Amino acid sequence: MSERTKIDARGAFCPGPLMELIAALKLVEIGDEIEVLSTDKGSAKDIPEWVAKVRHEMVSSNEENGVWSIVVRKAK
Amino acid sequence: MASAPLYILLCSGEHEKIQMAAMMASVGAVSERPVEVFVSMNAIFAFAKGRGPDERYHGGAFSRALKEKRAPDAVTLFGQGKELGDLKMWACSMALDVQGWEMDALEDGLFDGPLGLTKFLSDAENGQFVTL
Repeated sequence: MSERTKIDARGAFCPGPLMELIAALKLVEIGDEIEVLSTDKGSAKDIPEWVAKVRHEMVSSNEENGVWSIVVRKAK
Repeated sequence: MASAPLYILLCSGEHEKIQMAAMMASVGAVSERPVEVFVSMNAIFAFAKGRGPDERYHGGAFSRALKEKRAPDAVTLFGQGKELGDLKMWACSMALDVQGWEMDALEDGLFDGPLGLTKFLSDAENGQFVTL
């Protein structure tokens, strides 16, 4: 059964949230999800771009009060 | 399609240029793109072993902002690029010779060795080349 891990990268500047996501993906199983919380505006576009390039899966991306919640599924 | 390798020639000792090199190298390397960085001239001082951020990084207003806001540390970013992606770092053999340094004068675990400019330029012929 897949699991979801949450990373609180609020306050981290580019490329901090992306690097934290990548480090976390190394530690989880295929099918597991990582939720990144970020206040970095660039990460809202950078993370989906990276996910598409390296062929993982975007699950969702939502913003509320300046905080993005970006959920990625490990696909490989 | 595989991405063209990225070759970064880092010469400047300015904080903002070292920071940008670190960002480009780390993000490129974790994006399935081979990256090689050649560190020479004033940039080599930023990689001297055992230095703190104030000794390591020098620059103007943006350098101060990077330190005050605690932006990701450039040397740490290079390390993450090596750990998580395909990043090689080379110390300019001329810069080492001029300083009288051996590889052990540089931060542990970052560099793949000393290299001459001729070899780096030859390797870079089939990639994208950036100078900072």
